[in-house]
Amino acid sequence: MKWKNPKSLATLMLATALLIGGCSGGNNEPSNSGNTGKTGSNSGNEQAAEDNSPITFTFFGADASPNWNNMQDEVGKYITEKTGVTIQAEFDVGAGGGENKIQLMAASGEVPDFIFAKGNLSNLVDAGLIIDLAPLIEEHAPNLKKIYSENMNRLKYSNEDQSIYQIVTNMGVGQQYFDAGGGFEIQQRVLKEFGYPEIRTVKDFEDILKKYVEKYPETDGQPTIPLTLNADDWRIMISVTNPAFLATGAPDDGEYYVNPETYEAQLHYKRPEEKEYFRWLNHMYAEGLLDKDTFVQKDDQYKAKIASGRVLGLIDQEWGYQDAENALKTAGKDEYTYAHFPVTLTEEYVDHSFQSAGVDGAGIAITTAAEDPVRLIKFLDWLASDEGQVLRNWGIEGKHYTVDENGQRVIPQEIQDRKVNDATNFAKETGIGQYRTFSAWYGDGVKDSTGNYYTTNFPEQIVAGYTEAEKETLAAYNATTWKDLFPGEDEFPAKEWGALYNMPVPTDGDYQVIYQKTQDIIRKRIPEAILTSPENFDKVYDDFLAELDKAGAKEMEAEYTELVKKRVSLFTGKEIQ
Amino acid sequence: METLSPNAAANESVTPAPQKKRGRGAWKTILQQKYLYLMSVPFIIWLFVFNYLPLMGWTMAFQNYKPAKGSYLEFSEQKWVGLENFIKLFQDDRFYLVLRNTLAMSVMGIIAGFVIPIAFAIFLNELKGKFFKRTVQTVSYLPHFVSWVVVAGIVTKMLSIEGGVVNDILMGLGFINEPIQFMAKGEWFWGIVTASDVWKETGWNAIIYLAAIAGIDKELYEAARVDGAGRFRQMWNITLPGIRTTISVLLIMSIGHLIGIGFEKQFQLSNSLVTDYSEVLDLYALEYGIKISRFSYGTAISIFTSVVSILLLLTANGVMKKLTKESIM
Repeated sequence: MKWKNPKSLATLMLATALLIGGCSGGNNEPSNSGNTGKTGSNSGNEQAAEDNSPITFTFFGADASPNWNNMQDEVGKYITEKTGVTIQAEFDVGAGGGENKIQLMAASGEVPDFIFAKGNLSNLVDAGLIIDLAPLIEEHAPNLKKIYSENMNRLKYSNEDQSIYQIVTNMGVGQQYFDAGGGFEIQQRVLKEFGYPEIRTVKDFEDILKKYVEKYPETDGQPTIPLTLNADDWRIMISVTNPAFLATGAPDDGEYYVNPETYEAQLHYKRPEEKEYFRWLNHMYAEGLLDKDTFVQKDDQYKAKIASGRVLGLIDQEWGYQDAENALKTAGKDEYTYAHFPVTLTEEYVDHSFQSAGVDGAGIAITTAAEDPVRLIKFLDWLASDEGQVLRNWGIEGKHYTVDENGQRVIPQEIQDRKVNDATNFAKETGIGQYRTFSAWYGDGVKDSTGNYYTTNFPEQIVAGYTEAEKETLAAYNATTWKDLFPGEDEFPAKEWGALYNMPVPTDGDYQVIYQKTQDIIRKRIPEAILTSPENFDKVYDDFLAELDKAGAKEMEAEYTELVKKRVSLFTGKEIQ
Repeated sequence: METLSPNAAANESVTPAPQKKRGRGAWKTILQQKYLYLMSVPFIIWLFVFNYLPLMGWTMAFQNYKPAKGSYLEFSEQKWVGLENFIKLFQDDRFYLVLRNTLAMSVMGIIAGFVIPIAFAIFLNELKGKFFKRTVQTVSYLPHFVSWVVVAGIVTKMLSIEGGVVNDILMGLGFINEPIQFMAKGEWFWGIVTASDVWKETGWNAIIYLAAIAGIDKELYEAARVDGAGRFRQMWNITLPGIRTTISVLLIMSIGHLIGIGFEKQFQLSNSLVTDYSEVLDLYALEYGIKISRFSYGTAISIFTSVVSILLLLTANGVMKKLTKESIM
């Protein structure tokens, strides 16, 4: 077809734009009906519990949620039908994190009704935009109270301000992990090729990747990549810098390492063991085993590479490359999926991935913009009820699971198949898993009153979720899940200071500035240290540490140590000097 | 400023009022043109509300600003700190680094962003076939509508060491033996940004010059041909002087934007290896201002940018006025 003149093309484009705009406008219609079902806070419990009049709550999630379907999925429709609530949600895009968006919210005061602020809640709290949930939970939320029970202390904000600003929803209460999603990853085909050797240290990891790439320099016509990492923005922490402490036997305390005796905090890069870990990465790069694009590629390029099946090894968390692995599964390339190993620098270290931090995470907060916080907390409470939790985790009875004659919930085979092999579409259509972080939930391994697990992750289900290739690998290592290869929770005491990456830090004063400066230095110098020539490594790394101190790291660490000590006493009631 | 000046010009030309009657005469004119004035009122209000009222926020730069309880600004509760934020700004080494990057990239951008589209427009104008000309023009401005996210993706892919077109060509021609990791070389970052900007905007920027060229009297060319002027002489002596006014107006305006080049392209194209070359003022304001709740500091940076922009604009305008008798004010 030929366009006679630019005008007709322009008209067509305009018409298309209007059409699309018109369609998307239609989706927002229900939002007009908000607030019709306003309930006074003094109305009785049972009466309000039945308040199912349509209402819309606005929401912002700091993590990207690409499969969010505006509640037009099956679970979403069911929730709206049951409670009258429509969630008008917006999620951060790309690598996520929500920092920029939330800072703007703090500055402008324009917030949605409720929010999943991840690490940035304190900015909103300092701006006076978050309401205290404690009285609401006390009065209107029996289910939330039941779930958190003895952990209520851990929801409190700080010693000075003991309000509850958020309920923890990005982790399940009482969670026992059945599966491991972290560690060092190797493709099943690589392990199979060499008869499933023991993978314990970085040396083993390196050797097997090296041997394989020498044997098969090409995968499906493209060059094989032995190891790639994701260093795009904050993902550098997950894939490049966090593994430094995990591989040297320290638990995850964000950017810090906390001495369990004295509670002294220091930037974890200062541990001499970690220097050796980075030296190993430097060596991997010098050997040509580490992808040359590592520090240049963006998140989507990283995933595209993995989805092509030519990356033999990763050091990442499963959620970081899940999309790509799902694509491999959908394409039926099971042998390209990844196995997880608790690899450490040498055998003297033990992987602390599973050291528990106790109940401590990010979650849902209600803002001052919510006109009817009571209705909202009741909605959250309903989601946290047994009915709500089963709905969020299992789906709708008769559709996504059935109950057999023994009262056991069973997922039919064809649903399970889709869940594994067509995960993206499945999540979009059914909404299972999409509502998990909207309210509190019991973690894996906790059973409800009917004797069933709350979540669909229990050992048998996890195994049912594995591909054939994964099962083959696991069998070769005498394990049923990846977790079996890792040291478990019971081998370590729970951390008294909780999860430090959730600890609010002061937003005024110099702390944030110094922290930002050290982050800039870390994100610049760590790649430099890895990419430099091996004989130069010591100099670059020592300069890097000196530069951190010059930027004020020592003062920052001292301030942080104080906060850690206060937190330990808030959580445990201990007096600490 | 620009909005008001045509008005003033119109006034003068309509009423060459004698000096002594000036006060009265002006009133009379205003009365005569009251509908015109009334029509401009909404725009003046609009300008005031959206461009001048927000300037109240500049007070933040002189405070230790804290977002107050829910509302926009509880003015009385803020703590005043005088010039402290500016002093901190001027004492930060990083500030000078990002200032250097900003200026370097925008100067490179202006040079390339003027020379290439002007040359492109002039040469395109010389082409004969109307259909071909139109097609080239359309094709060349289409990239303008491609978002920077996509452009960054394309550029990274093209410069990639693995299957990147640029490396393939260079290796194929034997200039290099090993692929070059372009995106990891800080000192090349400015060039890459400028080049991608040229690719994206050349066609778009040429439109205005093509329009200006179309307005040149055809008789001038005929006369020149009669006098024996060749193609290049015509371009040099007729086309270029013909669009000189357009060029100087656009140049003055872009010099005004010299320091505020935004951050989209730098943000998309950069990575941790090249931050020393890629961080620009706006990114710095984001990282060290808004992102860590230092709203006052962020505001101080933006005031600095605005003040420098105005100074640059006035200087450029003054210089142009002297040199070419053309100005925008």
